Amino acid sequence: MERQIISKKKQVFSVEPTKLSPSEVFTRKYTSHLVPALKKLNMDKNSSQINQVTVKHEVDMALALSAQEFAWGRFLLQKLSSADSKSSSSNQTQILERSNDEDGEIEEKMKELQELLPGGKEMNVEEMLSEIGNYIKYLELQTSALKTIVQDTT
Amino acid sequence: MGGESNEGEMGLNHGDDHSRAGTTSMPLYAKADPFFSSSDWDPVVNGGSFSSSHYPSVVMENPGMSCFTHYQTGSGYPDMPASLLPFGDCGGAGQFLGSDKNGESVGRLMRAGESHDQVSDDGVLGASPTRKRRQAEAESQRNKKAVEEYQEDPQRGSDQSQKKHKDGQSKESSQSEEAPKENYIHMRARRGQATNSHSLAERVRREKISERMRLLQELVPGCNKITGKAVMLDEIINYVQSLQQQVEFLSMKLATVNPELNIDIDRIIAKDLLQPRDRNTPTLGLNPFTSFQGNISTTTNPHYNPLPQTALESELQNLYQMGYVSNPSTMSSFSPNNGN
Repeated sequence: MERQIISKKKQVFSVEPTKLSPSEVFTRKYTSHLVPALKKLNMDKNSSQINQVTVKHEVDMALALSAQEFAWGRFLLQKLSSADSKSSSSNQTQILERSNDEDGEIEEKMKELQELLPGGKEMNVEEMLSEIGNYIKYLELQTSALKTIVQDTT
Repeated sequence: MGGESNEGEMGLNHGDDHSRAGTTSMPLYAKADPFFSSSDWDPVVNGGSFSSSHYPSVVMENPGMSCFTHYQTGSGYPDMPASLLPFGDCGGAGQFLGSDKNGESVGRLMRAGESHDQVSDDGVLGASPTRKRRQAEAESQRNKKAVEEYQEDPQRGSDQSQKKHKDGQSKESSQSEEAPKENYIHMRARRGQATNSHSLAERVRREKISERMRLLQELVPGCNKITGKAVMLDEIINYVQSLQQQVEFLSMKLATVNPELNIDIDRIIAKDLLQPRDRNTPTLGLNPFTSFQGNISTTTNPHYNPLPQTALESELQNLYQMGYVSNPSTMSSFSPNNGN
């Protein structure tokens, strides 16, 4: 049985040529950060004590570590290393003040976007727009990696 | 996530080739603007980077004028050993080229800090102010340091209004070799528009922003038909928020099942690589949360991925065979039992 699996594994790997798209690179990095961290978390505490905040922290940390080439990644890492228990996704309930002026509205939205992006407040608008683009992409990758991990353990 | 193509990855397909073809021939582009994808770029980039290989020139529509916005991406999105380059911009060399067939003056943007241009200078202009810099792809990587220096020469405003640029040279030809040393952006007022240096800068900025918005539009699913910045921004905000929420949700789920973490990294990576990159996963993420106890069980909910992922299923078959799952036929049931 083992051999069968191993051979299947080999088969799996051989299907994939050695091209490494950036999303694969990211996925590898991400999982290789996250999984050991989770295991460590597992071992350090008793299983009943793993709370969500820690896991979220690890999740974010893995993302930050895997995305160091971007400003938001670095910023996220800084933020996570210094102050814990702050999650970037906690800013979701924003009260958007809408002004009647169309430009003002757009400004408001830009600001909101800036707050969503880690480190966005310190960028100017153009930078922020580019960073948002790859942030979105990497969030998607992270989501699918997490799904795989979750699937794997259930 | 194997099997990505450029289109598949982000749906980003600028079709710059078409755009280039459609406009007046810019010989410069033709030869100097290869496909970033090819020479310089790592295969890594090609694999489906965000700024897909066909980024280079995008035609900007301006009423009455056909302008080229030539963005040379100094770096692709992800990875790029380079630093952060804002996407869409080459490490410095991007230009606005106004092509005017009618001999109208064109607005031109020069990016500073770049060297190399292949194009000869516009002799007509002669003076330094109106130089364009064009950066060869091969050298695009040099631009890493020169990210974006946008400085506008303050005196430009007055100068430019006087310079009318005839066609032909306006396009590529006006690069000069000495450009590299300057750090100015040379803008030229377009016909019928204000020549105030401030408004020029403003316009440049606006164009960049709309350019990026357009790219974002292709990134966010379902935004193809949206026109208008405000709505688009709304969509982007919602999408980012929903992605973040998904991550939270998944990590919450992970926290629940964490104690039984028995994962093999290789297997995850293999699975990931095999999973077709389907753009719909983000929207499907929020499935009813069923709590799982115990070991790896049969509840590999096919419902979790409504879209057929045959590769994954074959991996699941492996799981079954490995004895993790005692009864494959119960796969479709949600009962979290008979783990091993």
